[in-house]
Amino acid sequence: MKKLLALLLCAIMILPAFAFADETTEISLWTYPIGSWGDPDTVNGIIAKFNEVHPEIKVKVNYLDYASGDDQVTTAIEAKTTPDIVMEGPERLVANWGAAGKMLDISDLWDDAVKADIIAASPAVEAACKNAEGIYYEYPLCMTTHCMVINYNDFEAAGALQYLDEATHTWTTEGFLNALDALEAAGYLPTGVVYCGGQGGDQGTRALVTNLYSGQFTNADHTAYTMDSEENIKALQLLKDLVEAGKLDADPGIVAGDEIALFCNSTLSIGFCWNASAAVSNKASLADDVKVFPMAFPSDDGVPELQGGIWGFGLFDNGDEARAQAAKTFVKFVCDDENQAAASVYASGFFPTRASLGDVYAGTDKAENGEYAIFMPFLGDYYQVTGNWAAQRTEWWNLLQRIFAGGDVAAEVATYCANANK
Amino acid sequence: MQKTALRSGMTVNMRQARRRENIAGYLFMAPSLLFFLGFVIFPMVMCLVYSFTSYTMTEFSFAGLANYQRMFQDAIFGKALINTIILVLVSVPITCFFSLWVASIISKMADRTTSFFRCVFYLPVVTGSVAVTVVWKWIFNRYYGVLNYLCMSLGLINRNMNWLGDPSTALWCILTILLTTSVGQPIVLYVSALNNVDQSLVEAASVDGATNLQTFWRIKWPQIMPTTLYILVITTINSFQCFALIQLLTSGGPNHATETIMYYIYYNAFKLQNYGYGSAMGIILALIIAAFSALQFKLAKTDNG
Repeated sequence: MKKLLALLLCAIMILPAFAFADETTEISLWTYPIGSWGDPDTVNGIIAKFNEVHPEIKVKVNYLDYASGDDQVTTAIEAKTTPDIVMEGPERLVANWGAAGKMLDISDLWDDAVKADIIAASPAVEAACKNAEGIYYEYPLCMTTHCMVINYNDFEAAGALQYLDEATHTWTTEGFLNALDALEAAGYLPTGVVYCGGQGGDQGTRALVTNLYSGQFTNADHTAYTMDSEENIKALQLLKDLVEAGKLDADPGIVAGDEIALFCNSTLSIGFCWNASAAVSNKASLADDVKVFPMAFPSDDGVPELQGGIWGFGLFDNGDEARAQAAKTFVKFVCDDENQAAASVYASGFFPTRASLGDVYAGTDKAENGEYAIFMPFLGDYYQVTGNWAAQRTEWWNLLQRIFAGGDVAAEVATYCANANK
Repeated sequence: MQKTALRSGMTVNMRQARRRENIAGYLFMAPSLLFFLGFVIFPMVMCLVYSFTSYTMTEFSFAGLANYQRMFQDAIFGKALINTIILVLVSVPITCFFSLWVASIISKMADRTTSFFRCVFYLPVVTGSVAVTVVWKWIFNRYYGVLNYLCMSLGLINRNMNWLGDPSTALWCILTILLTTSVGQPIVLYVSALNNVDQSLVEAASVDGATNLQTFWRIKWPQIMPTTLYILVITTINSFQCFALIQLLTSGGPNHATETIMYYIYYNAFKLQNYGYGSAMGIILALIIAAFSALQFKLAKTDNG
């Protein structure tokens, strides 16, 4: 009797294995927190819409964060447990994992119509999504320009608004320096902080340095870092002098997230790490006396070149053709479906990489996001696809730390270039 | 003859019984042993193997001793080694002495009071690293941190200090946090050890006119030596492996002032994907920890006579 019972229990446990074969294909999506793409409710809603059209494809989602996401992906690559789709930008999809041969060639997704639509929005986006051989590793969804921010109230009280162009949200390097003087004279110290405690938000400090005297971060073909140009060394020296004079702060103990918090709680009048998504996510934490006014980075000629952010989808090469096709179907739906594409971009909080989509925020409750579209014409070269990018990022904040600790600018830049250009 | 046969039969039975016991013992140990082999021994062996390879995301080839040669020429590794040794040499004695001192005080209190203080000191141990570092980051904040506020109020400083951003103070801040999270377990262990000291010996020493210090040194200290040795070894290992605080607070900066070997291993393996080089550093770290631990065991045995 006992043996019979045991056999019956075993049979019940084994039975599900003989269930009728499921005809669905299951794919996995790992996404970094790009606007609401880090929110399960939003993503599940998008997947539900996808499943109305493609019920045969199931999508499982893993939500990454920027603190540990890269480590998780690296682990997955070495353990050969990579997801089918990952949502991030070219610096990871093209320059890192793509260059390492881990990503699928998705050039077949880039038909002529799509290519033209994306180039019409920004040629830099199309260029960033492929490698030097012309192989596409990323299918872009959205983009933005990283900018900086000022507290309009502080500037107004200090009489510093005269030094910026409120209509275009731009200013010259001279205007920036005059503004710092005005803020200091009115007692608004610290004005801003050049954060350099880690790589978080380094797009802000890079843009600050390269714009001051119109320097370039890399050469034109993205094969070398050019921080040792005359313009960039002059810019770094200026920042060092400003810090030593007390007109600006430098802090090797904080990163961009801390700087944003200091700006939002009114400790700082200027923030160097800002964009449309930061405006939305920090809205609730603004102190009462903070009036956010986004600005381009100051440049000597008044025409800034802003760092771009591009986000889209890459497919890992997992050796499964069925899952690869299902993943491409999902990506195409999210990015190009006439009923879904705008909503996908809207969820990111950024701007469409397809000119045909226009202003996805008009008439919505995120209409103020459209304000940041004013910076899109200033989108500069997307150089984050330059080789040795990961090591360069560490060298960058170490360079800033050494300079603000008193190091000779030219000598420290030489060390930086030697290590970054290995 | 019958007695011999009987005795021989019993011996065979005993051997069989012992064999069955041994097999049963091994079967009970098997799950833990498999876990130990799979998650401890195997990774250690693979780490050793990878340390002799040039292993990156795109390459896997034999490199001989190249990783080790590179390591001993790497200035950042040297700095990380010095920082790590400073952390160990400062945190281990302080942890031991402080824990023993606190334990010797609270072990004499009423049970409830002892339990209360044990909880208080053990709280940082069970609190997650992220929560601990977030709070300490607020405390050390240059602009609105309570430490600056207190020091300014007491006139100890005349301007806000950048505790985590100054190379001369950053490592000591890390050390401070490390100490708060390290003393909990030793205190609990020492309280237990002190309560297990033979009180008759203590009373006899007291009757013989021994001072408190003599009683402690001659009677209590030898009896709590096994606990002390355990605490020394564990605290040393934990200090050598200090990582979370560095990753969450300073990323090894400012200017490598808080770079430790563990963090540098992580940086090379996960950020630069130099798995071979990271493995080589891991092997060296393991050897250093083993050497330190062996020295501690030897000194403790010498102490015991």
